[in-house]
Amino acid sequence: MELRQASSVTDLDGGLPLHGGTEVVPLIKAGILRPGELVDIRGVVPRGIDGTRIGAGTSLAELEASDRIPEALREACRLAASPQLRNMGSLAGNLLQATRCWYWRLAWPCRLHGGDECFAREGEHREHAIVANDFCASAHPSDVAAALLALDATVVTTTRELPLAELYRLPTAADRSTTTLEAGELILHVDVPQPDASTYLKAMERKRWAFPIVGVAAARSGSTTRVALAGVAPVPWLLEGSLDDATPLPRNAYKLDIARALVARATAALG
Amino acid sequence: MARLIRTEKEVEGRYEEVWLVVEEDALEQWPSGPREIVGRPATRIDGLERARGEAVYTADLKLPGMLHTAVLRSPFAHARVVRIDLAGALASPGVHAAIGPEDISQLEEECGFQGAAVAAVCADTFAQARAAVAAIDVEWEQLDVLLDPDEAIARGEQLDEPRVRTRGDYEQGLADADVVLEGEFRTQVVLHNSLETHQSVVQWVGDTLEVYISTQYIWGIRDEVAKGIGIPADKVRVICHYMGGGFGSKNSPDDYTFIAIELAKRTHRPVRCALTRREENIATGNRNATIQRLTIGAKSDGTLTALGGEYVNAVGWSGWVAPTEGPMQLLYSCPNVKTTTWGAKINQPPMKAFRAPGFVEGTFGVESLLDELAAKLDLDPLELRRKNYAHHDAADERPFSGKSLMECYRRAEPHWDRRLEVRSRSTETVKRGVGLASQIWYGGGGPPSYAWIRVGSDGRATVVTAMQDIGTGTKTAMAQIAAEELGIPLEHVTVSLGDSARGPYAAISAGSSTTPSMGPAVRAAAADAKRQIIEIAAQRYHLEERVLDLRGGTVVSADGNLSTPLEEVVGLLDDAQILGKGARGPNPTGMQVLTFGVQVAEVAVDIETGEIWVERIAAVHDIGRVINPLGASSQIEGGIIQGIGHTLSEERLHDPKTGRILTTGLDAYKLPTFADVPEIVSELVDEPDGHLTNLGSKGLGEPPIVPTAAAIANAIRDATGADVRQLPISREEMLRALREAEQRTAEKEKRGAPAGV
Repeated sequence: MELRQASSVTDLDGGLPLHGGTEVVPLIKAGILRPGELVDIRGVVPRGIDGTRIGAGTSLAELEASDRIPEALREACRLAASPQLRNMGSLAGNLLQATRCWYWRLAWPCRLHGGDECFAREGEHREHAIVANDFCASAHPSDVAAALLALDATVVTTTRELPLAELYRLPTAADRSTTTLEAGELILHVDVPQPDASTYLKAMERKRWAFPIVGVAAARSGSTTRVALAGVAPVPWLLEGSLDDATPLPRNAYKLDIARALVARATAALG
Repeated sequence: MARLIRTEKEVEGRYEEVWLVVEEDALEQWPSGPREIVGRPATRIDGLERARGEAVYTADLKLPGMLHTAVLRSPFAHARVVRIDLAGALASPGVHAAIGPEDISQLEEECGFQGAAVAAVCADTFAQARAAVAAIDVEWEQLDVLLDPDEAIARGEQLDEPRVRTRGDYEQGLADADVVLEGEFRTQVVLHNSLETHQSVVQWVGDTLEVYISTQYIWGIRDEVAKGIGIPADKVRVICHYMGGGFGSKNSPDDYTFIAIELAKRTHRPVRCALTRREENIATGNRNATIQRLTIGAKSDGTLTALGGEYVNAVGWSGWVAPTEGPMQLLYSCPNVKTTTWGAKINQPPMKAFRAPGFVEGTFGVESLLDELAAKLDLDPLELRRKNYAHHDAADERPFSGKSLMECYRRAEPHWDRRLEVRSRSTETVKRGVGLASQIWYGGGGPPSYAWIRVGSDGRATVVTAMQDIGTGTKTAMAQIAAEELGIPLEHVTVSLGDSARGPYAAISAGSSTTPSMGPAVRAAAADAKRQIIEIAAQRYHLEERVLDLRGGTVVSADGNLSTPLEEVVGLLDDAQILGKGARGPNPTGMQVLTFGVQVAEVAVDIETGEIWVERIAAVHDIGRVINPLGASSQIEGGIIQGIGHTLSEERLHDPKTGRILTTGLDAYKLPTFADVPEIVSELVDEPDGHLTNLGSKGLGEPPIVPTAAAIANAIRDATGADVRQLPISREEMLRALREAEQRTAEKEKRGAPAGV
C-alpha cells in the first residue's frame, strides 16, 4: 500500500483520501478498507473557521475551542471521542465515519457489506438503530453530523453544494452506501448558519470517549426549531414530528426512552 | 529447625492439603501502629525507573536475532479443522518456521471456543508473521454451539460436580422466617485487559531455556514449562523484572509460551510471542458470567434464619468453578445456609482467575439482596449487618485468626451518616443516595516462601528473592520490611527479584498473597542478618549482645555510650558479607484467615435517562498490619476503579447465535475513564492479626474490588427505590429497574397501601 501527497483536491486518482486517519487506519487494519493507494489530503483540504464557513480539514479539537461556532457544534465536538482523537480527527472525516455496528466492523457479511442478512436485528443490537432500521439496524455514530443537521448546515464539495441531510442516504438492497458522495469527490467546506440558540446532549455508556447511545442536537432560528439525533438510525436523523413511529428492537427500546427525554430537554433548553 | 507438617494451602478460596517443610517463625510481632519505616507511606523504590521508561518489561525486550510470532486462532466458537496446510505460510516473506496441531498439544484441531490456538508462524517482523498466518490454508467444519449456561447444566455439560455446601436446616430456616425474599442476579463477562498483553520471549542458552514472561508466578511457569517440554526444572530460567498487570490472568505459561518455545527450538533463535489487544479481548481469560438465584429468610427484627443460593457459573470451555457462593457462606452468622454452585461448560473462552474470582460476583448478589431485605423490613442496612455479624467462620466451624469488620463498620459511620444530606441534594430528575456493602475474601498467603539478605561492608543491604512484583508495589513493601527489621534507612536497601536463577522460591502473586507470604520471610532474613551484625558488634566493642541494637543505620548500646554508624561496624568485613536467610512460617492451625471491609458509595441517578454518576466511595478495610499506607491507598483506588468498570460499563458481548465475540477492542469494550472515577476516601484499620506470622499482615490486592458493585447498587436503591439485578448496570438495566419500581409503587397505591420507599 502506497501513501502519496495530494497535489490538489482533484488529485485522488482512485486513491483513498487520508486526513486524520482515526477512522481510515483502523478500517484498513480490520481489512474492511483495502486501498491500493492512500492519498494524504491534509495539505490541500481547507482548514480553519472563516465566518460561518468551516474548512473540512479543521480538527474537532480546533472546533471545540472556538467561540465563533454554534454551541451545538462545539458541544458535539467536545463530547466526541478523546482529546487525542479530536486532535487528529477532521470535521469531514467525522461526518463520513462508518457505523460502530460490531457485525459490520468485524466484517460479517451483513447487508451493509453487500450481504443478505442484518445480523444485529436477530442478534446483539443494544447499541443499534431504533428508527429506519428494517433493512439495516446500524446506528450512525457522528455527534457532529447530528449537530450540523440540526443547524441546517450546507456541505460544499469539489463538485457541488448540498444540504447536509442530502449527504446521507439510507442503505437499500440496490445500493448499500450510506452517503451520496461520489468516487473522487471531497468535502471542502461546511457552511453553518448561526442560530438564535442551539445545544447538543449526549448519552454515553461512560463519561468520556464513547460513541452516543443517543445524541440530540437542537437549534432554533426565529420560530423554527430543528432537532436531529445521533446513534438512532443508519444515518444522522432529522426529527420530523415525534418519535412515536420508532421501531425499536427487543433489546434497544431503552434508547427510545433516552431519546425522548433528551429531545424534551434539548428543546426546552433553547428557550 | 525445619519441620514437616501436613497443612491446608489456600489460593483464592481453593484449598488443598499439602505436605510442607516449614521453618519455625520465632520472631514476635511488632506492637501495633506505625514503626520507623513499616506503616509509614513510602513512594515506590522503582517508581522513577518505571516513570522514565527505563524499566524493561517483557514487552520492551529485544534480544539479538529475535523472531516474532503470530497465531492462527479459531474464528468460530466451535469448529474442527478438517484440513490445514502451512505451505503458504512457510513460503511467505521473512518466515522462519510454522507449526500446527500436529506439532504441540497447545495447538488444537477441535476448537471449543473462539480464539483457541490452531497454528503459529514466526518471522523477522510481526507484520510478516501476521501476513503469513493469513496465508495458511485451513478448512473448517463448524459445529453446534452451546451458549446458554442453564441449558448446559440441564444437559450435564458441566466442568465439575455441583458443589453443595450446607449448614443447619435450610428448609426449617425458611419456615421460621417472618419474611422471605428471592432475587435473581446476573453478572457479565469482564476482561482483565492488562496494559501489557500476555507475552513471552524465549531463548535457548546451551541446554537451559530462558523464558522472559509477563507473569504472576515465576516458579509456576518454571515448573509447568519444564513438565510441558520434559526437561529438568532447573534447566528453565524464568525472568520477569517488571510487569504490566495481570489481575489473575497470568498465573500460567499458556499457549503463547509453548508456541514460542517450539519455534525457538526449530529456528535456534530467540522468539517472541506477544498477543495483540484483540487476542487479549478474546482468548486470554476472563471473569465468567454468573446467574445467581438467591433466597433470604429473616425474622422481622432482621435476624437471618435462612440463606440459599443456586449459582450457575458460565465458566466457558475450560477453567474452574470459582467460589461465587463464598460471600453467602461466610459473611453472616446465619445458622441455616444451603448453596449449590454449578460450572457450565459452554463454547466461550476459558475463564481465568480475576481479582477475587467468585467473591466479586457473589458479593453483588448477596449484599444486594440483604439491602432489599433491609428496605422490606425498614431496617438500617448497617444495623442489619451488625445484627448478623459472624464472630466465627460458621461455614467451616473455625475461629477467624483476626477480624476487625465491626471496627470497619464503626469507622464507616461518618460516611454512612452523610446519606440524609446526600439525598437532600436530589432534584426532580436526579436522585441521590448512599449505599454500603461488606467485603470478605481471603488474603492470608502461606508457606513456602524464602528470602535472603546480604549486607556488605558499606552497611547496605540487598534482599534477594525470586518473587515477582506484578505492579502492586510489593518490591517497595519488602524493602520497608527489611529496612525496619535491620534498623537501616529505606534507601540503603535494594531488592533483587524477578529471576528464578537468582534467589530462592517465592510464592505466587495471586490471592492477595505476595505481601503476607513474602513479608514474613523477608523479615526473618533481616532478623537473621541483624543478629549476626549484633554478634559482630558485641565482639568488636566488647559488649554484651543484649545491650546492643541497630537503629536508623547506627549500632547503639543501651547506655548510649556506643553510637556508631553501621558501615563503620561492618567496615572491617572488606569483601566478606553478612548473609541472612528467612522462611515463611505456617499459617495458624485450624483458623480461618480472611480479610474484611466495607465500602460506602454515593451515587446520583438521572431517572429519565438512566445515567449513573458514582460521586464518592469511602472504603474501610481490615487487612491486619499495613506495611505501606501509600501503596495500600493506591491498591484501594485501583480496585474501586476496576470495580466501577465492572459495575457500570464493562461487558464482553458475543453473538447469541454463533457465540462469536463482538467486543474485540477497547472502543467497544468500555473500561472506565478518569472522568468516571469518583472521589475515593480510603482507610485501613491497621491492627496486626495476632495469629498470623511475624507481621500480622494480609494482602490487599483483591479486597477493594469485592464490595464496590453491591455498594453502588445499594446506593442506587437508596436514591431511587429501584432494585438493579444485573451487571453492568447499563442504561438499559437502570431504566428497567426504575420502571419496575414505578409499577410496584403504582400497584401498592392501587391496593391502598402506603407508598413504599
